Amino acid sequence: MAVSAKKGRQSVGHSEVRLAWTLISPTALIVFSLVVFPAIFSIWVSFHDVGLHNLNDVFHAPYVGFQNYKQVINDYAFKFQSLKSIGAALTSIFYAFSATTLAIVIGTIASLLLNRPFKGRGLARSIFLFPYVAPIVSIAFVWRWILDPRTSGVANDLLMKLNLIDAPKAFLATRGLSLFIVILLDAWRYFPFAMLMILARLQAVDKTLYEAAKVDGANDVQQFFSITLPELRYVIGSTFLLRLMWTFNKFDDIFLYTGGGFGTKTLPVLTYEFSFRLYDFGRGAAAAMILLSILALFMIVYVALVMRKVEN
Amino acid sequence: MESENKNLISHLAAWINWKRFISAALMIFFLTSILFPFYWMVSSSFKTRAEIGGREPVYVPSGLRLDAYKELFDPSNPSYQNFGVNIINTLRVSIPTAFVTVILAVLGSYAIARLRFKGKEFLLNSILIVYLFPGVLLIIPLFAMLAQIGDVFNFDVQDNLGVLMFTYMAQTLPVALYMLTNYFRTIPDEIEQAALIDGCSRVQVIWKVTLPLAIPALISVGIYTFMIAWNEFLYAMVFLNDRFLFTMPIKINTIFNDPTPRPNVVMAASTIMTIPIMILFLALEKYLTEGLTAGGVKG
Repeated sequence: MAVSAKKGRQSVGHSEVRLAWTLISPTALIVFSLVVFPAIFSIWVSFHDVGLHNLNDVFHAPYVGFQNYKQVINDYAFKFQSLKSIGAALTSIFYAFSATTLAIVIGTIASLLLNRPFKGRGLARSIFLFPYVAPIVSIAFVWRWILDPRTSGVANDLLMKLNLIDAPKAFLATRGLSLFIVILLDAWRYFPFAMLMILARLQAVDKTLYEAAKVDGANDVQQFFSITLPELRYVIGSTFLLRLMWTFNKFDDIFLYTGGGFGTKTLPVLTYEFSFRLYDFGRGAAAAMILLSILALFMIVYVALVMRKVEN
Repeated sequence: MESENKNLISHLAAWINWKRFISAALMIFFLTSILFPFYWMVSSSFKTRAEIGGREPVYVPSGLRLDAYKELFDPSNPSYQNFGVNIINTLRVSIPTAFVTVILAVLGSYAIARLRFKGKEFLLNSILIVYLFPGVLLIIPLFAMLAQIGDVFNFDVQDNLGVLMFTYMAQTLPVALYMLTNYFRTIPDEIEQAALIDGCSRVQVIWKVTLPLAIPALISVGIYTFMIAWNEFLYAMVFLNDRFLFTMPIKINTIFNDPTPRPNVVMAASTIMTIPIMILFLALEKYLTEGLTAGGVKG
């Protein structure tokens, strides 16, 4: 059967190539002109002085060498100043790693919870996906309203009634606390993705492994650490790296929660501010390039570890 | 021997109960922390200004008061927001984005999944890597580049929903292509080979055999790209300045940043933006599983 299929293919081989390129050209054209070319072009912009004044004649912008990069690296918002103000680069890395780790831990717990059959499991699974599916704008403003700094904010009201805090807190406008809250909110929103990935893998684990472990007298905790976790190692690793890159790139969440203030300024928000608050596109592009080079490190790890494994 | 057995069983029963207790507690914790914000959004949208601005939060609104919705839709309201226009703008961007993305992605992914040509793997990999690019990186060159092109061809880049749609397609096409390629690969090649041997042309095979099998996947990819365009915030914020062209996310942001805070109005607009997505999502879930089973049965 395979042989006849091959023969059929060879006879139409030539026109097939032409058809293939016809079919794929619109997509390729859009992706290359609106993604690949701009990506390369932004390297160029990062070495030139581009602002609102010469935006209409951008290809003749003066070359400034590494000046944009120097400006970004010496910017007080980028640089590490003290432990209280660690700068956008470190904030980004810290935020991406902790939010991702937390999302994966919560996602693992959620997937274990949904892995055993019970009444209403399908409904529970749908509800667990809600935070991930709902529009970020709605989610962000609901949380800002819940965490409102006045006494009318429901979080302040509850915490004060439980005597956990004495006075209302400005959760999203306090240095230190804000970053912590933003990380929590991120984990709340993105754990369902990890949950889905892990759940799919959990359901493929060979059940006889658990039977054998039970015979050997292993309890649930031992079973989890000696069977479940090793089986999940690969999916957790790849989900972690993927989420890490996405979180590192995230602009909307932090911008909507805090506007990048109070010690939550990450590289994407800094890039936005350089470009569309100061209208210094060259400096914005330089910040984006620094962001991209850190991202590239993550990507290399991802490709080396995950994509190779997939090919095998 | 018997007493030992009994001990073991009662021990086991206690163990199961303890485990069940933990599971139930965790389940309740998850469900409340997920559902509470949604409850708070919908309930706040029905609160009056007095209920929302008091010293303490009102946990259950006094009734289904439509004050906030009137501000969004009623032209006679003193702070009328004309939110209907924003809903229409969002639809005008997201529906064409979804349609065009699905059509182009079907063509491209079919070629990648079925046909053999040079540079295929390179193409697929580079499109996948594109998916990992930060949107904020692309918006600077895109903004500069489109301003230049707009100058040459005499169209406005800002406040142009068509331009916005194209930038969304650049974001959604890679995902759509990836999802559909995977789906086409699950449809057995033999079905198509049989049709080819029966004398159908490639285009006929795609139209009459492959596409009908792929309908569930097309719907799920369509809904998925629709949701991306519906929710998009950064590009819309940069490209739109005219409040009559604002999409919903930008309008909600504007209402939120109004000098007189009106959380009930923000929550009403958020509710309107969220509910269709949640309904579509529940439909999508069904289609995802249906798509798999349908492919499995027919293949």
